[in-house]
Amino acid sequence: MSGFANEVSSSPLSFWSYFMDHRSADLQLLWSHTWLSVVPVVLGLVIALPLGWLSNRFSWSYPPIMTVSGLLYTIPSIALFVLIPPLLHLDQLSELQVPIALTVYSVALLVRVVADGLGSVSEDTRQAATAIGFTPLARLLKVDLPIAVPVITAGLRVAVVSNVSIVAIAGTIGFQNLGNLFTTGYQLSSGTSPYYPPIVLGLVLCVILALALDALVILAGRGLTPWRRAARG
Amino acid sequence: MIRRSISIVVVVGLGLGLAACGKDSSKTGSSNGATSGSSGTVASKLIMGGSAEFKTRANGLPGLKKNYGVVFGKYTVTDTGGPVTVGALVNGQIDAADIFSTDPSIKKYGFVSLKDPKNNFAAQNITPLVTKSKATPGVEAVLNAVSAKLSQQALVDMVSQAITDKEDPAAVAKAFLAKNPINMPGKASGVSLSVGSSNFPESVVLGNLYSQALASAGAKVTDKFNIGSREKYYPALKAGSINMFPEYNGALASYLDNSTSASSTAEVMAALKKALPSSIVALTPAQAQDNDSVMVTKATAQKYHLVSIADLAKKG
Repeated sequence: MSGFANEVSSSPLSFWSYFMDHRSADLQLLWSHTWLSVVPVVLGLVIALPLGWLSNRFSWSYPPIMTVSGLLYTIPSIALFVLIPPLLHLDQLSELQVPIALTVYSVALLVRVVADGLGSVSEDTRQAATAIGFTPLARLLKVDLPIAVPVITAGLRVAVVSNVSIVAIAGTIGFQNLGNLFTTGYQLSSGTSPYYPPIVLGLVLCVILALALDALVILAGRGLTPWRRAARG
Repeated sequence: MIRRSISIVVVVGLGLGLAACGKDSSKTGSSNGATSGSSGTVASKLIMGGSAEFKTRANGLPGLKKNYGVVFGKYTVTDTGGPVTVGALVNGQIDAADIFSTDPSIKKYGFVSLKDPKNNFAAQNITPLVTKSKATPGVEAVLNAVSAKLSQQALVDMVSQAITDKEDPAAVAKAFLAKNPINMPGKASGVSLSVGSSNFPESVVLGNLYSQALASAGAKVTDKFNIGSREKYYPALKAGSINMFPEYNGALASYLDNSTSASSTAEVMAALKKALPSSIVALTPAQAQDNDSVMVTKATAQKYHLVSIADLAKKG
């Protein structure tokens, strides 16, 4: 009622006009949400590859590495965001604390995937590779890892999509990303009349972003495994 | 609905039980009107709602009990004067609430703010804080000029524009400065500083207001709005990663010194200046305040003849 009087609709469906009214700010949020979702996964993969290889190569290291990385994932994200600045002597408002926290989660998710992916390479394949003259390093890079790509890709899809949702939590403690739209909508709600447009916009953009990043990971996985397409015909 | 009826049953049951065992043991006026003495008062029939922190802080529930002998039948934790609190009060899940005095929902729903004659709630003037190294006479003059124009009505109007009319906080601040120009070109030139705000609409509007005024006076301003709670922005201010912040003098004073009993603006400012580190300067407070207040619906106020918080301690 009062919403119409002020020509601002609180209907969930007016998220599009909210977007048009705050386009540059919203795109800024979408952009920072995107890089906050992607960079930690890339860093996480870079860290997880040697750890995963280690736990696959030396089977005694598998249980402790998996336990520790599994435990990392159970740390609540808000706690991690609050803990990181004092632990690393960062400024309270440092932009770095969010990507650092998300990198921790990505490592936690990806170590197991890398290890299991490498473990999925059959013994016959390994022996054949060694027999035709691959050094251990060359075999890892040219035989084992390519064969593990489908498994690692599956893990990356989970990591990148879960990052999209965890980044939004950082919005509630003041970091600029799509999560801010949720707090904005909440704060501009008044008592019995909720203000939906920014909340719905945040949801829609998060879902679109997650779907887009997921599709990118799938495409990258396909690009790295051309023989699978050939096999499928 | 079920929860509500359960809580009503519980409150009624508790009330009956207390009334049965402690009949006429109330001495509501005296400061010693402790729990058993509160039976039969208006407050004992009411559910109060507010933040978790209001339950324990000195001028929250303990202050209401100490100053007025008011003990509520039940306390329900909602949010800090936000939509959850307002919604619960409107829907009758709570009967009284800690709601801030600039909240546009007060006018919208016709809430009655109970008077606080004993000044249980401390002054909460908008008070600019500045990093000492950035507090040049020019910067101070610009910030003080803005604060001087910040009347209670001006603040209430701006918050209403931001929350009710969903106007952009930056636009609200710009319109205010256009109507109340400070005209100090070049006064703060050569100073570069970052201006912060908390992440609720009033704070963002105030951050924009001081930031735009500084920029119009030639300062190089970086905005760091929407920082979370005081636990987050105060260390940043202390460390100098933000240089200017629109604070509430009473809230910051009790954050820095939990035992403070300062109440009036002058007392609060004295306490604040004592508690602040030498690296942060508190400037002259604006007239505008955003106080805690005990808010009830018009119907509740009429039913129990409530005008002041003290009326809650009367026999109901």
